[in-house]
Amino acid sequence: MDKETVYNRITVLRAERGVSRRDLAAALGVHYQTVGYLERGEYSPSLHLALRIADYFEVPVEVVFSLKPFPRIGGTP
Amino acid sequence: MTSKTAQWLERSRRKRSDRLAALEDEMERRMPARYARRRPRRVLAGAGAVTLGLLWVDAAVSWVIAPSDTAVIVNLVVLGVLVAVGLPLATQLVALTRGLTAKRARELDERQLTARLRAFATAHRASTVVIAAVLLVTMAADRDGRESQIPGAALFLILFALLVTHIFLPLIVATWQMTDPPIEDDEDRP
Repeated sequence: MDKETVYNRITVLRAERGVSRRDLAAALGVHYQTVGYLERGEYSPSLHLALRIADYFEVPVEVVFSLKPFPRIGGTP
Repeated sequence: MTSKTAQWLERSRRKRSDRLAALEDEMERRMPARYARRRPRRVLAGAGAVTLGLLWVDAAVSWVIAPSDTAVIVNLVVLGVLVAVGLPLATQLVALTRGLTAKRARELDERQLTARLRAFATAHRASTVVIAAVLLVTMAADRDGRESQIPGAALFLILFALLVTHIFLPLIVATWQMTDPPIEDDEDRP
């Protein structure tokens, strides 16, 4: 795995809030495929975009992004 | 800038943005599903590179045999192939990359700008190699010094091939470097 990988929980947050990729992309002012690439971990956002994503979901940025993989729901803590 | 000019500019930008969004949805709808995979995309990029190469072959042929009827026939055949194959190919490449190399910077997001920068950087390096190769080949081919006779057609075709390479190489590179698009959610489909 690339040592510069940034893990994120955009898919989970989006599903939880019932927001489509296109809606999120429109709110952030990015192409909807960019949201898809972010979710797949193939693109790491700039600090500005990361903060705007966190702001959109109204959570701290560390809830959305992490340098370590997020624990699976129901997995051991 | 007066407020009227600013308003007109803003209106014009909005109209262009709406037109581009509609065009992109249409391209999305018409894009064959096979281009979601890397191999068919790279085959298309390779076809683009071969078409560019054809222009260089044409220039070389003109250098060797122009002025002659054969050179004119070769030129016409290459021109025909460019119109019949090159133009539709270029259109497909633009649609596939969603105009990545042609759009204005403010119409792209940060990921697209990064992808464009990467494509332009690679294409710039490749163009440098092409120009250096042309320089070496012309130096090697032109051995008569002051007596040398370079056909005007060949000179024109070399410059034309350089111009077309300069314009289209970033598009070909951008297609080659594209990663598979994410699978769309059902609610994401336009």
